[in-house]
Amino acid sequence: MEALFAIPFSVLEVPNIKIKKPTWLQPPSAMTTFSFVLLSYFLVTGGIIYDVIVEPPSVGSTTDEHGHSRPVAFMPNRVNGQYIMEGLASSFLFSLGGLGFIILDRTHNPSTPKLNRILLISVAFLCILVSFFTTWIFMRMKLPGYLQN
Amino acid sequence: MTQTTTARQGNGSDKGIFSNTAGFSTLITVTVLSLAWLAGFASRLFAVIRFESIIHEFDPWFNYRSTAYMVEHGFYNFLNWFDERAWYPLGRIVGGTVYPGLMITSGTIHWILHTLNIPIHIRDICVFLAPVFSGLTAIATYLLTSELWSRGAGLFAACFIAIVPGYSSRSVAGSYDNEGIAIFALQFTYYLWLKSLKNGSVFWSICTALSYFYMVSAWGGYVFIINLIPLHVFLLLIMGRFSQRLFVSYTVFYIVGLLMSMQIPFVGFQPIRTSEHMAASGVFALLMAIGALKYLHSLNPKGQWKQLLILGGLAAAGAVFLAVVLLTYAGVIAPWSGRFYSLWDTTYAKIHIPIIASVSEHQPTTWSSFFFDLHVLVCTFPVGLWYCIKHINDERVFVALYALSAVYFAGVMVRLMLTLTPVVCVLAGIAFSILCDLVLREEELPTQQDETEESKSLYDKAGKLKKRTHEQPAPVDPGLGMNVRSVTLILIMILLMLFSVHCTWATSNAYSSPSIVLASYGNDGTRKILDDFREAYGWLSQNTAEDARVMSWWDYGYQIAGMGNRTTLVDNNTWNNSHIALVGKAMASNESAAYDIMTMLDVDYVLVIFGGAIGYSGDDINKFIWMVRIAEGEHPKDIHEADYFTERGEYRVDSEASKTMLNCLMYKLSYYRYDSGGSPPGYDRTRGALPGNRGFKLTYLEEAYTTEHWLVRIYRVKKPDEFNRPRLPLAKRTVPTSNTISKKHALGGGPMTTKRRKGMLKNKPTIVKGKKAVKLE
Repeated sequence: MEALFAIPFSVLEVPNIKIKKPTWLQPPSAMTTFSFVLLSYFLVTGGIIYDVIVEPPSVGSTTDEHGHSRPVAFMPNRVNGQYIMEGLASSFLFSLGGLGFIILDRTHNPSTPKLNRILLISVAFLCILVSFFTTWIFMRMKLPGYLQN
Repeated sequence: MTQTTTARQGNGSDKGIFSNTAGFSTLITVTVLSLAWLAGFASRLFAVIRFESIIHEFDPWFNYRSTAYMVEHGFYNFLNWFDERAWYPLGRIVGGTVYPGLMITSGTIHWILHTLNIPIHIRDICVFLAPVFSGLTAIATYLLTSELWSRGAGLFAACFIAIVPGYSSRSVAGSYDNEGIAIFALQFTYYLWLKSLKNGSVFWSICTALSYFYMVSAWGGYVFIINLIPLHVFLLLIMGRFSQRLFVSYTVFYIVGLLMSMQIPFVGFQPIRTSEHMAASGVFALLMAIGALKYLHSLNPKGQWKQLLILGGLAAAGAVFLAVVLLTYAGVIAPWSGRFYSLWDTTYAKIHIPIIASVSEHQPTTWSSFFFDLHVLVCTFPVGLWYCIKHINDERVFVALYALSAVYFAGVMVRLMLTLTPVVCVLAGIAFSILCDLVLREEELPTQQDETEESKSLYDKAGKLKKRTHEQPAPVDPGLGMNVRSVTLILIMILLMLFSVHCTWATSNAYSSPSIVLASYGNDGTRKILDDFREAYGWLSQNTAEDARVMSWWDYGYQIAGMGNRTTLVDNNTWNNSHIALVGKAMASNESAAYDIMTMLDVDYVLVIFGGAIGYSGDDINKFIWMVRIAEGEHPKDIHEADYFTERGEYRVDSEASKTMLNCLMYKLSYYRYDSGGSPPGYDRTRGALPGNRGFKLTYLEEAYTTEHWLVRIYRVKKPDEFNRPRLPLAKRTVPTSNTISKKHALGGGPMTTKRRKGMLKNKPTIVKGKKAVKLE
């Protein structure tokens, strides 16, 4: 058997090649992966697919009683409709809130100095609270009866 | 609601205090889970309390009808059931076109209860099935999360999924639909898959396959599992995480799961024939190839095996991919069906399949839906994902994949929000658990550390002293965080409380409407129940012939069959596009063209929903443009969408509307004799316009019934003899003279001969004469 395999190699010379993994091909780091994920999350929660399919205007407009047209940021009274800008603004807030929680975790690194820690905590809470309450206000603008009755 | 908050507080504090005592932690787990079950069940009862124990919406009516049939006639008769009441004149093989898991589940419960002599009606089982299963879902989520992270995280996740609106939207009492039990099966299958992957045991793999079988029998969404698990395996292979455990668990799961899924009649040979399932078999082949290479490696551990493995793996992957492509090209494997294809090419459905795009739950998702269905979890979802990616292992690769694919699908279709919700709850559970850990655990940690250090320092004094000075700053530093920590804790609790308030509000206000019974609120807060749908269906069942055919738009097919017990032409099982297009064409044509279609289809009654009188926006005129689009897809010569818009491209019903619109059947049936609805009689409150075509008469149909609030209008299709001979008033009747008769003959016959005339007269001589004589006088 061994001799059988050897027959071609009596004529041919085994080339001395080395297959190397290209150096640029590396498994992405956790941070890279996560930022990629967060970016796509930002886009999807902003309803980018809705924007592509339905093609709404970036900002809506109404005509008031004097006949002037005024811009309207939020499509009112409809949960399943939106303008492009309101979607992006809200998904920015979602991501901001998420980042706030992540920063909050960072504060527990023991090597962080005391002042930095307090600063980080306050920044984190600012992020979370701003995102939470602004989204709330957005929801109120969208659904005037939100959380009532 | 109090239950949820207490449950959450309880689980927040359990980790720190009772982490040592197994008994306490089990007690707390059981308590929290049962409270979550109770809270989830209670929050889904709004519809029953406000209205009554009734099946909701459209699809549940079919599920209920077939469950009732199964309970009455037995399982095998159900499998062989040919329903001639649907899709007239085609009929529908129900047993072969339905996912029977739902019916079997409630049928089994019914059977068990009746064996125990608890006489409960099948309807009540159907109504309360989904809320009960929400508790099981919570437990399955708990198991999944504790497999991924920790038991504390599991408890958080269980509490979240119990009340989150994204899931309760599909599982309130009365919404008796496949999704209600399928989410439980989904979560449980994933839990078992992770378990089997961890242990690499055949037992757990078989369990996974069994759970997968239940999922296949319950919901078409099983395709998500059979693509996600192979994707997970594939990614693990790419990451170089091949192991014996992976090999055993996947191969066993795939083979057993494949064989079992093919036992469902509706699925049949699809798992080996269609592209949706090819990822699973491709990964199976790839895993086999890599397993073989690894085996060769074990025979001769020397040599350049690493490169060979990578190269061989790549070659195998390429070969598998090429084989699938070739088989698809050769027609052995069916290509992606439109429904799945529209998930990838998102504009596909809009252009090619209007019937899919027309369904409101197939619309793409907006930001407000994300917020509405998930609330604060939408922020904590990336946090949990971050922890999973940071501390990655085999199982967390899975949850990351699950999260990413579910987010994408949820973005494409509002309906798939349902598959996103469980994973969001899992990840948010992880995030909140870690947060609580950090906030609460440190309070005990310093003291514990001090104790251990002091006790340790007793044993060797000299060595530790140096380290102690080193470690001293660390316990002091968090000490200042005492206030910060309590503030953090309070804020987290407030967030969670607001979350539960939002969940209750959303479930109660947005998702608990039966949509069969409508409620309207007066200015003084009094509630008025509009029961028009049941009134109309009741009328149909009482006053029409047993075999009468009712034509309506497909939305109401299941309801007419379920409540009115009459034959329908099209229903919510939208399997036959051309049949639906024919109905759409009839609705969009003018009366006489529609009459031809209706006689062709043997229609006896036409049912339309008209919301103009009460301002109900989900009526047929608002859906009408989709009927036109679907009809145009099949009959592009006869129906043109542009004809139904005004010149400026607006969709209107008032006098500016286009002529085609004002004369089509749907318009006429909606506004016939309509004189209600506000200050100018005949005002349409839904569209806010005065209809452009009023006071018209119907030639081919007659009004049979209109409900109290004009919501449902039923028309009877006249037989040909009823309108072909219009009744003339006596004064207008002209008397035919003998002259005209001879003229007729002169026109009809060829050359007039006496013989013929004689023959004519010979046939009916006396009768003709007699009539003439009488009429003349």
